[in-house]
Amino acid sequence: MASEFTFPSLDWLQAVREVFNTTDMYRGAGSGRCDCVVGLKIEGAVFIVEFEGFGCTGVRQANEAELENVDFYLDMPYELWKSMLENISANNHAIGEFTLNTLDLGMEQGIAHSKHEDQYRQDLFVRYNQTMQFFFDASHRISTTFEEIVAS
Amino acid sequence: MTSSKTNGNLPDLDLGWMDQHGPWDTHAEPGKYGFTLADIQIGEYGQVPEESNNQTGRPRGSKPRANSMRLGGYTVRTKSDIWLENASFLYEEALQRQWSSATDVPWESIKPLPDDVEQAQCQMATFLTEVEFVAGDVPARWISSTTPDYFEARQVLLAQVMDESRHMDVFRKRALANGGGLMRATGATAGFVGGIDLSRDFTEMSSRLHISGEGAVLTIFRMGELMAYNDAEKTIYRLCAQDEARHVAFGVMHLRYMSQNEPDRREEIHSYLDEAEGSMLTDAANPAGRLTQTSESLCILLGGGSDKFDEGFRKLVAIRRRQLQEYRKRVISAGFGDRFDNGRSRLNELMAQAAA
Repeated sequence: MASEFTFPSLDWLQAVREVFNTTDMYRGAGSGRCDCVVGLKIEGAVFIVEFEGFGCTGVRQANEAELENVDFYLDMPYELWKSMLENISANNHAIGEFTLNTLDLGMEQGIAHSKHEDQYRQDLFVRYNQTMQFFFDASHRISTTFEEIVAS
Repeated sequence: MTSSKTNGNLPDLDLGWMDQHGPWDTHAEPGKYGFTLADIQIGEYGQVPEESNNQTGRPRGSKPRANSMRLGGYTVRTKSDIWLENASFLYEEALQRQWSSATDVPWESIKPLPDDVEQAQCQMATFLTEVEFVAGDVPARWISSTTPDYFEARQVLLAQVMDESRHMDVFRKRALANGGGLMRATGATAGFVGGIDLSRDFTEMSSRLHISGEGAVLTIFRMGELMAYNDAEKTIYRLCAQDEARHVAFGVMHLRYMSQNEPDRREEIHSYLDEAEGSMLTDAANPAGRLTQTSESLCILLGGGSDKFDEGFRKLVAIRRRQLQEYRKRVISAGFGDRFDNGRSRLNELMAQAAA
């Protein structure tokens, strides 16, 4: 863990992607083939994460309008993103209330959304949930610093 | 390739079978996902007939055998009766996302629980074991009734049977893992769930099983993480939800194909949805419904004990509403959203009843 990566940033996502793509344990145990395009909305910043086959094929910065085209996007308050990643870092994977699915259920509007309202595509959050979980769990292998966000 | 009756030192052989084959000189190659069913949809091998007269178990694309007997008595021989556009994709996904209830669940994380919570957890495990028997048995019957020409859809259903088998075993294991055991059977296999097996037609079965039944159970599996008391239970529910979402996807995509290709059957399918909506909150098939055996156990689990029943009930109402909202959006996605605009659906009424 020589380098530190700031969350949220494209560098951080690329580092997580590298760990995710090169760690065998993230291919079994209910993970595996996964084809979907996921948006991340973090304090005004938007990122797109693409999964194809057994890996994460790309991450890039995007804008709000591009969320129209993703299968689903994850959106939660910055403090919750931070708490989730700290939980992952402390336990090597998310536990308790910090798994993605539990976070989604714990908030009235959920954390997984879509602009298109097509439930078939939105169900991909559930269908590929273990893969999504493994992707963020991979962040325990990198050193994360958090951008200071001033609440507006 | 040629056949020959004589060949050097070999005895005379009847090699006539060598000329009996389907299209030759095929060179299927693996793609970026490995060597998948999609990679072998080449020429005639990839052509799915609208109607099939294959009653002999002949693999699609192989050369027919003269005078062969009828083997399967297949009743599903019309493509639209069972087809969906992404069958081979779902099949490969199912194969590649399998998991083991023996080794992928952190069973060691289960610790003793208060008696009422353990009993409620065992009641849900009993219920889920019960309904997963149906979810495995019913598609299995239809597999054997479907012509091999539609093997892609058959194979997705075969994978579903494997998934349901794992769900049966994982909930049975949970019931026996922590000082409890199986509780009284709920009777969930009667009523609406039992009716699934009376379906006269595959689409009737699929709309009942995949859209209504498994859609409701999918919400329960997702909500399972809220009523899990350890990582083992969280993992069980999360992985079951993944499988269940794939089964629901089969139903949505099949209804979508049916809607687009057999518009004359739309009214019939609406009637299946009428029936499903009529029993959505009252039938024993839905553990979040009004059957006290399961709804009380859910409230205890969601609240954190029988003394926090009211808090659990508040979450149960949220689950019911979510079930109904997700059902609505899946039906729209399948191409039958008009029922929500023309007043046919009872969903608004059910939303109002969700808190009762």
